[in-house]
Amino acid sequence: MIRGLWIGFGLAVVAAAAMLLAGANPLLGFWALFRGALGGERQISETLVQTTSLLFPSLAVAFAFRAGLFNIGAEGQLVIGGLAAGVIGARLDTSGLISIPILLVAGAAGGAAWGSIAGILRARFGGNEVIATLMLNIIAALLANYLVVGPLHSPGAAGAETAELPHSSWLPTLLPDTRLTVALLIALALAFVLRWVFDRTVFGYELRAAGDAPEAARRAGIDLAKTAFVAMALSGAMAGLGGATIVTGVLHRFNVSLSPGYGFIAIAVALVGDLDPLKIIIASFAFGILQSGALTMQALAHVPKDVVSFVEGLAIVALAARRFVAGRKQMTAVAQE
Amino acid sequence: MSAFQDFVVLSLVKAAPLIYAALAGVICERAGILNIALEGQLTVGAFAAVAVSFATGNPVVGLLAGVAAGALVGLLLGVAATRFGVDQIVAGTGINLLALGGAAFGLTVVFGQPGASAEVPALGVTGERIIVIGAFVAAVLLHLGLYRTPWGLRTRASGENPRAVHSAGIDPRNVRLVATLLGGALAGLGGVYLSLAELDLYSDGMTAGRGFIALAAVIFGRWTPLGATGAALGFGALAALQFVLQRSGVPSEFMQALPYLAALAALTGIAGRARAPQADGVPYAEV
Repeated sequence: MIRGLWIGFGLAVVAAAAMLLAGANPLLGFWALFRGALGGERQISETLVQTTSLLFPSLAVAFAFRAGLFNIGAEGQLVIGGLAAGVIGARLDTSGLISIPILLVAGAAGGAAWGSIAGILRARFGGNEVIATLMLNIIAALLANYLVVGPLHSPGAAGAETAELPHSSWLPTLLPDTRLTVALLIALALAFVLRWVFDRTVFGYELRAAGDAPEAARRAGIDLAKTAFVAMALSGAMAGLGGATIVTGVLHRFNVSLSPGYGFIAIAVALVGDLDPLKIIIASFAFGILQSGALTMQALAHVPKDVVSFVEGLAIVALAARRFVAGRKQMTAVAQE
Repeated sequence: MSAFQDFVVLSLVKAAPLIYAALAGVICERAGILNIALEGQLTVGAFAAVAVSFATGNPVVGLLAGVAAGALVGLLLGVAATRFGVDQIVAGTGINLLALGGAAFGLTVVFGQPGASAEVPALGVTGERIIVIGAFVAAVLLHLGLYRTPWGLRTRASGENPRAVHSAGIDPRNVRLVATLLGGALAGLGGVYLSLAELDLYSDGMTAGRGFIALAAVIFGRWTPLGATGAALGFGALAALQFVLQRSGVPSEFMQALPYLAALAALTGIAGRARAPQADGVPYAEV
């Protein structure tokens, strides 16, 4: 925890130096960042929207990490989930009680399917899930672009997006006139469920065993290939569900650029949150502040918003904890036997 | 020139940056570092070259700066992985984010505008030709270096059995550090090619996933310099084919996706047993 504070302090210093380099006043920069993120009801609601969009893929990444798998593909799984929800949603005009669950399930299923590809490659062929998910991210973006512009083009849609979803399929908002929807509650519930799964169920124990000590897990009769497949599929489902909530709750349509890299930032969030679902809630809020304050910082303090990605990237490198090293080493050793 | 010659030339032009990045991937992976930050190294190389060419008015200085910047980014991965016990995959992901954000930030700071830089003094046709030919020279040199020199033996051994290397009195972490430095320089040169040779400016996202195509080329080329070069050439030809097939009705997304699909296929082993170096991506820590 103390070390985390030091790293946070160091990152703030780097950010301040970058602002100075850009000819901006760092104090003004930080003030604008926080004002843009927390300066009023509207700003806070937008920060919570970002928190929600980060929380799903972050939980997805953490879930896979706990099982010893590097899911670098949350971005692609999120896109495919959003695509499924958007394409179906644009064609489904019925009561929200029916359409919303269908669209959320479709999103989760889409993400799960996408995650499963890497899961199968890993479980059946021993293929490196890092490479697989990296490739699948790009294939997802290309596929979405092709489908939305081409065969699944919805009438009346402009550009690389689907038509707007009927109002009945929009997620209910928590506060009037904001984009903050019940998706936040779903994400929070998911975090608590995951915590319970990890701590209190046999399945969660098996996942953690496969991640922490694969050789011991194998000797204890845990099927590592099956665990890898299930973990990737479920991880993909969480990211896909996140994509579906962006489509049904925030944009009300699928757009190929629906994610500013949530799936990658999620890796930082998961690490900051120590892979613990409840701490990840707090970490998502912290990164949500960065995401939502960046534009205000650019407008008021003339600090290019990209400094946020830079600092987030630095945070990932700085925070990657030593404890993954041990787990990864054992895991790879087993995979190569 | 005939249409076929045009096609060959275009293939070479499209393949050159892929070859540099793929060779970078080969060096790193043979030494035991899975470098998924190639994309970031290309990006930083491309941006630094343009920024320095803009500042000095000399594209050759820009080229050197791009190579050096790529090497620094490679070194960042190497230091994080070998000195601080940071997981290579996590570090690589972070570095990609950092590089893209840093270049976009630098673009606004140096050129006062987001999106794309102004046009800067570039290397021109001669420079472009030299870098393209250099890619093949680099491939042959790396082949000889990896298989015919003590350095190559140490590098390959660090990727297969780092403990044995250590027993022989050489710290495999240093070998890996050198590999990331060299790899970063090569990938940086690939980036320079994109911004200062093929074009005369930097624009956000101009590397367009080439760092990931290069990773695919490494697998397809079975972790050898010449194999990876061949795969990169194939992917370059695919990119050239897109121009030919533009009006044929074949979706361009499909053509663009082919290298990535090929990489997935290679992971299943249908193209014969492709085996990564034994300790590829496995951190080495003294026990």
